[in-house]
Amino acid sequence: MAVVGILIISAVIIAIDVPPLVRKKRKKELAIFSSLLLFGTALSIALARGVQIPNPLDFITWIFKPFSELIVKIG
Amino acid sequence: MINEKINVHQFLVLVTLFTIGTTILVVPSGLAAAAKQDAWIVSIVGTGIGFIVIGIYHALVRSYPEMTIIQMNEKLFGKWIGKIVSLIFISLPFIYTSILMIYNGSFLTSHIMPDTPLPVLTMLMMVIVAMGVRLGIETIARSGEIFLVFFFILFAFLVIFVSPNIEFENIQPVFESKINTIFGASINLVVTSTINSVILLMIFPLVTRYKDAIKSFYIGNFIGGAVIIVITLLSILVLGADSTARQAYPSFILARRINVGNFVQRTEGVIAVMWFITIYFKMVLYFFASVLGVSQIFNLKHYRPLTLPMALIVGALSILMFEDVVKQQNFDVKASILYSITVGLFIPLLLLLVHAIRKRKNENKDDPQLIQKRE
Repeated sequence: MAVVGILIISAVIIAIDVPPLVRKKRKKELAIFSSLLLFGTALSIALARGVQIPNPLDFITWIFKPFSELIVKIG
Repeated sequence: MINEKINVHQFLVLVTLFTIGTTILVVPSGLAAAAKQDAWIVSIVGTGIGFIVIGIYHALVRSYPEMTIIQMNEKLFGKWIGKIVSLIFISLPFIYTSILMIYNGSFLTSHIMPDTPLPVLTMLMMVIVAMGVRLGIETIARSGEIFLVFFFILFAFLVIFVSPNIEFENIQPVFESKINTIFGASINLVVTSTINSVILLMIFPLVTRYKDAIKSFYIGNFIGGAVIIVITLLSILVLGADSTARQAYPSFILARRINVGNFVQRTEGVIAVMWFITIYFKMVLYFFASVLGVSQIFNLKHYRPLTLPMALIVGALSILMFEDVVKQQNFDVKASILYSITVGLFIPLLLLLVHAIRKRKNENKDDPQLIQKRE
């Protein structure tokens, strides 16, 4: 059910944004628009189906881990 | 590139709303946990340090007033390194839009609308954020002017009606905490309200008369800081340091204490509305900066087509990142401050350094004496 909702949202986004881009022949915009939309739709569907996706916050925490430990030691 | 313009006064409004942002609801608790009854001193120190940070941005925009930070990156670091630095820069407003969405969602589900599922709230908020960005910065700024008035009316209401509950014993003894504690605790405030405003450097070139615009950067920070100082002071004076530190949203509880003649009661909705106004504008500005940033990284003619797909990603990311409150706190305490400092302080300082080196090189090249010597 949620997947259908997400697909409808994506369809609405395409209906709003794609026609003007096609009319003006902005190929670059169209390419980036499509890849972002594809990524967003895939991410949402994966979330709705309960697929395990790594949390970006964990990644940022991991990058800064050495520094935050350093600060704890100093403070 | 984009031919939208906002005036100096509108920029001031945006800076003020951005500085107040989430701090109004969340910050008093953290400050009180660190510095107890001296939390209000911390907020004064934090606002003061904020001016130094803006000084760095001032130096940067003085040299390149007509460029966004993305364009500065490409000019100073070269095309490819510049694009990589820009991507790191843009990740901050993008991730923070999702995090603010989480803040908003967890506040709404815990205090206002407990029965509504989180994805629905996220989606509704994302729709109005995306709408604001699609309508453009001019519309955002003009609505900001209207909502700032609302904000200050509600703020005055809060201050006037809560002041009968003040107990001065709550802030005594004054200056009990050490100077280290005060400065350490103030970093949190400086990061959330001032260092994150580095993303306003994306909007800066859109302001007419940029020379006056930098002045509104300072003034906006001052007004926002004053609001935060007053809210922190009131939380401590009315609730006391311990109970302020224990609450997740102390100013919300503060508004609950209002009771005028057993008639004006349960006014916490007031603080919720204030929070909606400021968090909405903070979110819109973050999102606008990330959308505009992506379009500039790829040299697109217009940012507008990217708004909706990116809004979809932000919505999904915020639901993905909202696992539990503990993880959220962990990120806030350990990583987000360093992340903000890297992007908001380290990148601008690096830009200034490269700018200084390039300038010196160019001067040497043009210096007639040196040319003579070479000959």
